[in-house]
Amino acid sequence: MPAEATSTRGAIAERLIGEGVVVLALVAWWLAARGLPEFILPGPVAVGRRLVELFVTPEFLFHMAASAWRVLVAIAAAMLIGGGLAFLAWGQPWLETVVEDRIKPVLNSFPSIGWAILAAIWFDPGDFGVIFVEVAILIPFCLINIAEGLRNIDRELMEMGRSFTRHRARILFRLTLPLLVPYGLSATRIAYGIAWKIALVAELLGAPSGLGYLMLRAQTAADSTTFLATCFAIVLIFVAGERLVIVPLERRFARR
Amino acid sequence: MVETGIALAPPARSRGFNARAWAAHLFTFAFLAVWELASLVAPSYLLPGPVPVAQRLWVFVTSARDLGHLGASLFHVGIAIAISFMIGSLLALIPYYVPVLRFAIERRIGPFLNAFSAIGWTLLSIMWFGVTPFTVVFAISAVLVPFALVNMTAGLNNIDAETIEMAGSFTRRRWRMFALVIVPSLYPFIFATLRIMFGVAWKVTLTAELFGGNSGLGYMINLARQEFDTATIFAAIILIIAFVHGMDRYVLGPLQQSVSRHYAG
Repeated sequence: MPAEATSTRGAIAERLIGEGVVVLALVAWWLAARGLPEFILPGPVAVGRRLVELFVTPEFLFHMAASAWRVLVAIAAAMLIGGGLAFLAWGQPWLETVVEDRIKPVLNSFPSIGWAILAAIWFDPGDFGVIFVEVAILIPFCLINIAEGLRNIDRELMEMGRSFTRHRARILFRLTLPLLVPYGLSATRIAYGIAWKIALVAELLGAPSGLGYLMLRAQTAADSTTFLATCFAIVLIFVAGERLVIVPLERRFARR
Repeated sequence: MVETGIALAPPARSRGFNARAWAAHLFTFAFLAVWELASLVAPSYLLPGPVPVAQRLWVFVTSARDLGHLGASLFHVGIAIAISFMIGSLLALIPYYVPVLRFAIERRIGPFLNAFSAIGWTLLSIMWFGVTPFTVVFAISAVLVPFALVNMTAGLNNIDAETIEMAGSFTRRRWRMFALVIVPSLYPFIFATLRIMFGVAWKVTLTAELFGGNSGLGYMINLARQEFDTATIFAAIILIIAFVHGMDRYVLGPLQQSVSRHYAG
């Protein structure tokens, strides 16, 4: 009983300190911002106000929707292409070295800004170029995770499946794909994180809309308030997507 | 169908290695051929052929100025990995020794750093520090810290409690225990962390150099882009792919394997 009491008290203290750190950081920011000009470090109040404004103005919502839409399409396409490559290597053993030793290392080591520049040279500014870059950046992450999942499939289970049916499609949908769900989810989670954090670079070059474009525009105009507010908006969107979509999905399909 | 599949499998496997290597070489050759054909159709500022790119690559590895940019990029990556590894490990060690701070670091600071976008850090550091090497190092370090934090936390959570107890029965000096027990049992995680950080660092470095650097491969690519010198862009990209993949495959991978074999026992 006393131990429990101390542990609850400990948990409360932990929580209080945790929120205290946030408050402390905000106060430190406020103090630092007081002595600095606004284009270097605007205060937390101004940025917070702009953040709220951003979420209610139609223009910002349009940019946000453009980015979110591209990220979602890119993740879906990267899962399809990366997963397809993993399945090719798995189903056709003679293609395994092609995928493992040629395609994977090149895509995995390709610098993200390299894709962005190539897309800016090759395509007109617009959705297609941005999605192309994001897909190219995300494919290796999907490929690696799904290949790992395929490697870990229990051979005995597959044999059992084959003893029940000879329909390949049936084995695929009833056995292979369900076994891959946890790996697919972790691939989605990683791709989601990379898409918001790194792949937004696609919107810096050759995009007429989106959060990356908004950030670059604010930065060139030395509008630090909008810039920081956009950064925090990305943090909020990222965390919201993870908490509201990815974590519940993972809980539902948790590895049993 | 199933029967023939089983009957055919053994000979295919005995021949397999050779056939697979051939498939890979054939793929490389086919890729180069398609690239060459496409470059014949497209103008050279859109897609230079493999031959001009190879020539540019040769010029690259023999020119002191170009190699200097590669060296600058390596320098940025190295310094940033060192700094962010130190900060991330310190942040991971704090909750280990002061458990009451666990919530603050793992639920507040960690997720925030993890969710902040790389471009945000890059443009922010340009606004704060101008176009200097320090800007580049700051941006890369800021992106890498959460990776170090997450991996080192996993490593610390994975330390065997019995080993710590045993060490505690031998000495009471915390520093001695840290240096002789905790750090060695973290070695596999340290190497895994450094390997991941090396991979991520290169994804961010060029972006940081392109926008906020006055040296490095990213800066070079930016100049080439303004002059429509696409062959240089291709050469730089190929060089980076070869370097990153070579380091990972032939240096960091074997190193990590031997370390984890030695310490995971």
